[in-house]
Amino acid sequence: MKIKSEKLIEYLLASVNKAKNSVLEFKQKNLTKLNAKSAQKKWSALECIEHLNLYGDYYLPEIEARILKQNRNTNRVVFKSGIIGNYFASLMKTTNGKIKKMQSPVEMNPQNSDLNATTIDRFIKQLDKLIWLLNEAKEVDLQKTKTSIKLTKLIKLRLGDTLRFVVYHIERHLDQAEKAIK
Amino acid sequence: MFLQQLINLFEEKNNKKFLAKGNFLIQEGQTETNIYFIKKGAVRVFHLTDAEEQTIRFGYERSIINSLASFIQESPSEFYIDAVRKSTVLVLSKNDLIQLVNLTVENTKAYNTFLEVVITQQIERELDLLTVSPSQRLDRVLKRSPNLFQQVPLKYIASYLRMTPETLSRVRKS
Repeated sequence: MKIKSEKLIEYLLASVNKAKNSVLEFKQKNLTKLNAKSAQKKWSALECIEHLNLYGDYYLPEIEARILKQNRNTNRVVFKSGIIGNYFASLMKTTNGKIKKMQSPVEMNPQNSDLNATTIDRFIKQLDKLIWLLNEAKEVDLQKTKTSIKLTKLIKLRLGDTLRFVVYHIERHLDQAEKAIK
Repeated sequence: MFLQQLINLFEEKNNKKFLAKGNFLIQEGQTETNIYFIKKGAVRVFHLTDAEEQTIRFGYERSIINSLASFIQESPSEFYIDAVRKSTVLVLSKNDLIQLVNLTVENTKAYNTFLEVVITQQIERELDLLTVSPSQRLDRVLKRSPNLFQQVPLKYIASYLRMTPETLSRVRKS
């Protein structure tokens, strides 16, 4: 995938802002509804959000550390996706309302943990952090800056791909959360 | 004397709140308009970041607590207060408190003394955080609150001491 860096960040920022609005709406709902599940093994809305929190705990500090190490004003005009990075990001992406189903790793499975209103508040703080990071990312090279991933130490992804992955992952699970409260 | 009077006022108003573990007295963004007397149980005050809940204070049985900065400035609270176990709390509004404080000159003086104690406690807390050694940090807190471990689950104490639960267990054993 090839896209102007500026365009990509703009698109991701819009998505995160949209995510924040829908999460603020979740906050108005009562806890019973937010904890409700359609089936034993399905996640409740709060579990979806906690799952995102658990990933945020890894990715936000990682992205922050990598960006802060870069020199400023090194941004490049056009960002080109890496092969693996593009694969992972696309895996997360919802296309035409359809997602690829997959199993979450055990340590990232939020089921049966202690969830309440702070779960949402913490996620809102994470989204604010992500918005800040996306703005910081405007000044660095999205292609040359590499970030580690949770899955394996063997590969690193281009910052632009990691940001896409993180944002698509949020979109994916917020869709799931919306369904859970219907 | 004032403290007893204050507690009497709590009892007299008898505005009871029953909290299950994890129920909130106040959440971030709300404005604190009350003070609370912990009749039974225990509560904690914590600040939420994008990564964790940071416990900054505990309210034990028979102590008085609230989200103080929000209460004084009538601004949105930056802290949450929730019950760490099943608790019964007496609630008193700011207006009722002020009425009592302004009733006599002695009361006003006593209220000032009460606030001085709170300020001194805050400075103790600052020193806690500046203490590098985990075991000394624990010692300082145990000196103030010997029954801490009987009242509050270990994970919250660890958070209060800014260490992991694992470190706290190790330090306690040695």
